[in-house]
Amino acid sequence: MANLFDWVNERAPNLAPTFRKHMTEYYAPKNFNLWYYFGSLAILVLVNQIVTGIFLTMNYKTSALEAFNSVEYIMRDVEWGWLIRYMHSTGASLFFVVVFLHMFRGIMYGSFKRPRELVWILGMLIFLVLMAEAFMGYVLPWGNMSFWGAKVIISLFGTIPYIGPGLVEWIMGDFLPADATLNRFFALHVIALPLVLLLLVVLHLAALHEVGSNNPDGVDVKHGPKGNRWDASKPIDAIPFHPYYTVKDLVGVGFFLLIAAFIIFFAPTFGGWFLEHDNFTPANNLVTPTHIKPSWYFTPFYAILRMIPSFFGTAIWGVIGMFGSILMLALLPWLDRGEVRSVRFRGMGYRIALAVLVISFLSLGAVGAGVTAELIPEWFPGADATTIENAFGRVMTLAYFGFFAFIWVYTHFGFEKTKPVPERVTMHD
Amino acid sequence: MIKRYLSAMALALGLVVATIPAFAAEGGEGLPSAGTNVNDRASLQRGAKLFFNYCVGCHSLKYVRYSRLASDLGLSEEEVMTNLNFTGAKFGEPVISHMPADSAKTWFGKDPPDLSLEARAKGVDFIFNYLNSFYLDPSRPVGWNNTVFPNASMPNPLWELQGLQVAVHSEAKPGQESVVEKLELSQPGRLTPEEFKGATRDLATFLEYTAEPAALERQSVGVWVVLFLALLTFLLYLVKHEYWKDVHENH
Amino acid sequence: MANEVVDHGRRRFLTVTTAVVGGVGVVAAVVPFIKSWEPSARAKAAGAPVTVDISAIDAGQKVTFAWRSLPVFVVNRTTDQLAQLKGLEPRLLDPQSSNAEQQPKYATNETRSIKPEWLVVIGLCTHLGCVPDFVPDIKPEPFDANWKGGFYCPCHKSRYDLSGRVFSGVPAPKNLPVPPYHFVDDTHIQIGVDPKEAG
Repeated sequence: MANLFDWVNERAPNLAPTFRKHMTEYYAPKNFNLWYYFGSLAILVLVNQIVTGIFLTMNYKTSALEAFNSVEYIMRDVEWGWLIRYMHSTGASLFFVVVFLHMFRGIMYGSFKRPRELVWILGMLIFLVLMAEAFMGYVLPWGNMSFWGAKVIISLFGTIPYIGPGLVEWIMGDFLPADATLNRFFALHVIALPLVLLLLVVLHLAALHEVGSNNPDGVDVKHGPKGNRWDASKPIDAIPFHPYYTVKDLVGVGFFLLIAAFIIFFAPTFGGWFLEHDNFTPANNLVTPTHIKPSWYFTPFYAILRMIPSFFGTAIWGVIGMFGSILMLALLPWLDRGEVRSVRFRGMGYRIALAVLVISFLSLGAVGAGVTAELIPEWFPGADATTIENAFGRVMTLAYFGFFAFIWVYTHFGFEKTKPVPERVTMHD
Repeated sequence: MIKRYLSAMALALGLVVATIPAFAAEGGEGLPSAGTNVNDRASLQRGAKLFFNYCVGCHSLKYVRYSRLASDLGLSEEEVMTNLNFTGAKFGEPVISHMPADSAKTWFGKDPPDLSLEARAKGVDFIFNYLNSFYLDPSRPVGWNNTVFPNASMPNPLWELQGLQVAVHSEAKPGQESVVEKLELSQPGRLTPEEFKGATRDLATFLEYTAEPAALERQSVGVWVVLFLALLTFLLYLVKHEYWKDVHENH
Repeated sequence: MANEVVDHGRRRFLTVTTAVVGGVGVVAAVVPFIKSWEPSARAKAAGAPVTVDISAIDAGQKVTFAWRSLPVFVVNRTTDQLAQLKGLEPRLLDPQSSNAEQQPKYATNETRSIKPEWLVVIGLCTHLGCVPDFVPDIKPEPFDANWKGGFYCPCHKSRYDLSGRVFSGVPAPKNLPVPPYHFVDDTHIQIGVDPKEAG
């Protein structure tokens, strides 16, 4: 074994130093908390999606005639096919749980701020590609929700002036989502977007390692005191990523797999949230599901789309609002100019604003998922449910965008009163 | 310090709350629960018998193979081929009804749908209540209507067992149509109402199984997986704790 | 809690134990993926035994049936044809059917069959898999002046006798395989199941 190591080392001398640079000699702040598990968990889920995806592709048939049947074939006739399918569908939803929490960490602790704007932008690109990947993946079983979801989302592009209708036809390759659409979505979902995703993830990590990790206190360890028990030239409050964070992240992996196993083996449809009832009926262009709604992870953005009304004869404002809601997140490094990174030391106004962001995001999700449409008639019997829902949804849309407007004003004009940021990180053991 | 624990608790609580939808009753917009148990093999066998006697004349189960029924329901090949296989298929072949599609369209107005996935699409509660809610309705082409699925194109397949059920309409308000207030038996069937509920429950259980045969297996495998992961996570924690002594002693 | 000395022994023990348990988990996780490659229920149903009616096969005639997508030759051999079998032995590569992979025990005889007149073999040349021609007549052929009836593969000129036994000096290395089969009754053969299993 040692000889093998020397043999490789002689021919690829930079392999070992690269491993050291990114693992055993990558020094990360020692005060990572719960919120710091989600990056490595995202990688775990990505690997799961790829491996289970490859095995699904071995039996899935991509034609509009056979797709639905092939999924049932996998569920029943292929040995352990049901497990591979559930691992893939559960993984898709858990991917978004992990990614949302991962992004929220970034917002809370100011990990998007200088010098980590590039890490944040790459992360936002990953988020966009992930949404496209998930959308296309959901179309593949060619259930009734697959079809109608595809129809609604693709038709959004029809609101673009002049090129809209032509664009929609071009995307579908037909006059409605059909075999042509399904096949190209298959190609994009199975190989094109995964390759892009992998590339972006590599760049995301490379960009992070260039500038080093942030931490829950937002303390800049690189410009602080030097000298720890492993290396006198490295920050005093940083520890080698390997073995300390590899070992810690593995515990997170264990917990996560436990939760995933509960879902996969005991509640794989998750009450209809992970695998929707309507998708157990084959695609039918003549019968619309009673409630068309996208998968839960799109619901906040879908709500914004619905809540912004049409005017001047076009519905494009909702589309602009929907994409704008994601653009706002991407622009955070330039909207939030506060010097202090972490919420722990930021002004009360920021903490309230952050709470408003979370509440509005979850509320918009409830609207988009049809939860409010169900609850409002129960809570306000006899009232006009649509009016109430629109009022609620529009207030929440304003609140969501209001967060970004507030942050800009709050930090650009010096209204924020921050607490002093300590020089050393704070640990709670 | 407290704020830190609060945020961790909020996160954990949020995740727990988020799991509530998983355990929400499937299907059934406020319909009484069917009370099915897919792990009750006797119920599955009774339900299968009912299905093949009363349903397969019109409805296929195209994703279900007779051979799979045998192994999942604990029946021998002979038992399945003699007591269940009325479609003349080979043992390994799927359950396909011989109702010709065009005849069905003429008689019922639409093709009787395949029922393999009905329990996942509509829910067991829907199926159970639907089967219990037929009533005679001369205004309909097939002579029957259903309170759970109004104007369904199908006659009551189980009327011999249930008996004849009629609708009692409420007083019609001016300008409005009268609604069905309740259903009652005008003529008894071969089964008592309690027995009939049991029979429809068995049928619903059988369809719950056909919608997801893997359900029989996944729970028993899942127990082992969860136990194993709990052990592994515990061990991983011990390793983490051991290595992190280096970090903690350093400040 | 100051810990001046690292207990390397404890560390190694914990790490190895956990790695072993984790390894068991990884192997267990891989098993379903590997098993998913096994023939599915659909493949097994398609590969199920087939029962064929042999009552219409005249003496000297061959009919081909499909079993597991393989061509299965069923030949009703005449007494003349059966009489030739012994004399051919010196020209054959494996006249006693010693290669046990090519036929079940009950077909390890001169006629390579359960009933002498009925030959049941998989009609794929053991060289590279072409389907051989049925050349039953006992008369000289361009490929063999001393032809006593059998099978001739047009692809690379391998030859087999009417028991499916391969001649020496041809590219094919083995006798034509006999699949598991048994007689359901006098006019029906079930291909895919041995006689003992069926009983």
